[in-house]
Amino acid sequence: MISKIIPGLSGRKKQRILKKHPLKESYDAVIIGGGLHGIAAAYFLAKERGMTDVAVIEKKYIGFGGSGRNTAIVRANQRTKENLPLYAEGLELWPRLTNELDFNLMFFNCGNLNLAHSEAALGSMRLQVASAQFHGVESELVDAKQCKEIVPILDISDRLTYPVMGGMYHPPGGIVRHDAVVWGLARGAVNLGVHIHQGTEVTGINVHRGSIASVETSRGRISTPLVLNAAGAYSTLISAMVGIRLPIHVLTIQAMVTQPLKPLLNHVVSSGAYHCYANQTLKGEIATGAHMDPWPNYTTDVSAHYIKHQAEALTELMPCLKGVKFMRSWAGLADMTPDMAPIIDGNDHIKGYFMDCGWGYFGFKSGAIIGKYMAEFMATGRCPERLAPFNLRRYEDHKLMGEIANPVNYGPWN
Amino acid sequence: MSLTITCPICGKRNGYEFRFGGEERGPRPDEEGLTHEQWCNYVHMRKNIGGIQREWWYHRDGCGSWFTIQRDTLTNLEIKGAEEI
Repeated sequence: MISKIIPGLSGRKKQRILKKHPLKESYDAVIIGGGLHGIAAAYFLAKERGMTDVAVIEKKYIGFGGSGRNTAIVRANQRTKENLPLYAEGLELWPRLTNELDFNLMFFNCGNLNLAHSEAALGSMRLQVASAQFHGVESELVDAKQCKEIVPILDISDRLTYPVMGGMYHPPGGIVRHDAVVWGLARGAVNLGVHIHQGTEVTGINVHRGSIASVETSRGRISTPLVLNAAGAYSTLISAMVGIRLPIHVLTIQAMVTQPLKPLLNHVVSSGAYHCYANQTLKGEIATGAHMDPWPNYTTDVSAHYIKHQAEALTELMPCLKGVKFMRSWAGLADMTPDMAPIIDGNDHIKGYFMDCGWGYFGFKSGAIIGKYMAEFMATGRCPERLAPFNLRRYEDHKLMGEIANPVNYGPWN
Repeated sequence: MSLTITCPICGKRNGYEFRFGGEERGPRPDEEGLTHEQWCNYVHMRKNIGGIQREWWYHRDGCGSWFTIQRDTLTNLEIKGAEEI
């Protein structure tokens, strides 16, 4: 019926985005994890490095994990000199990828407002803003009155438990449709010849004389010289297969959306003190994320504890949301490192074994750009300068990064 | 995320009353002849077992005692008397 109304659709065959491929006995590279990081690496290997004989092995289905469970926020106002240029480049990639993939990623650069509720928080933001500006990232310190001008529904009175004292405004950040990114990159990769095997579990990795030899999967063995561990929360379990231990805690993080409302919040608002971040999706729902459950876990259950917490935080910061109902909540897994920075490494000490993990809750905004650099790393065997600071040995060398203002000892307890 | 934990003094209580104290990883290594690698292994590296693990908890909003329990990280349930890996 619709095809009769819309002429363009008549005679057009229904197309599957993911073609099903037989599992070959060998590939030039095997990527473990069909999330954003793994698929982006596969896409850029094929697109920019001419390596098309690549398999992405995914236990469930693509985007099942963190890639489809995050709150879709992107920004580049990081704190350290190692992270800033990387995220800045990542932010510029979204509009480029939208064109390149011919897939609407729904990038909405509405800007991020991060609230400060204490002198200490403002002081920390002062440094963060200065660092961002030094690296050419647009970011500015604003006072409470300016916060109110940016987000009119904000309560800046002293009625709050922790009154707003100011904030950090980052205009180029915003939100990107997370499923679209996964599907857009997957289609791009498959069109270039990459095989994506869903419903396939990696059960072992074989190393021969210090080099990667093959990967055991639930559907058989694959010979390959290159393996990328992009398994997100499961990366410690994958790396245990080659005897490498990681400084990661896997924590459950919950998020939820309210019923759809008319447009009232046109920026991403976040508050460290309230452990709360929120944005209004293009559908009108207020999507909000909570703090992590403070103990390691592989379950994705949700709890009344955080629904109550989010309701309290949101209605204190934005009182007009009082009485608005939550529609659904869900949870994902975050692979937290002690210094809130990822672990990106390769060829150390197993030739052909690469890692891209420990992203915690920064994995979404970094996914596409890291895929690009990871592809370079895997194809050339040389670590790009941008990724070098994130090596695993930094923990041994006591060179932890200062991505958070607190001393670097992040764990489930704080 | 309904976790209950059995405190040796207060009994079975809501998990949010407790502070997680890390997976059990044996005694602190001897300082004599300690290499950076060994120290890093003890301080930072984790197993993150997907299954039953022995772990430390502190009854923060209760009696304040430190103790270990066994918990299945795949179901988020306290287990008693399970065999450990």
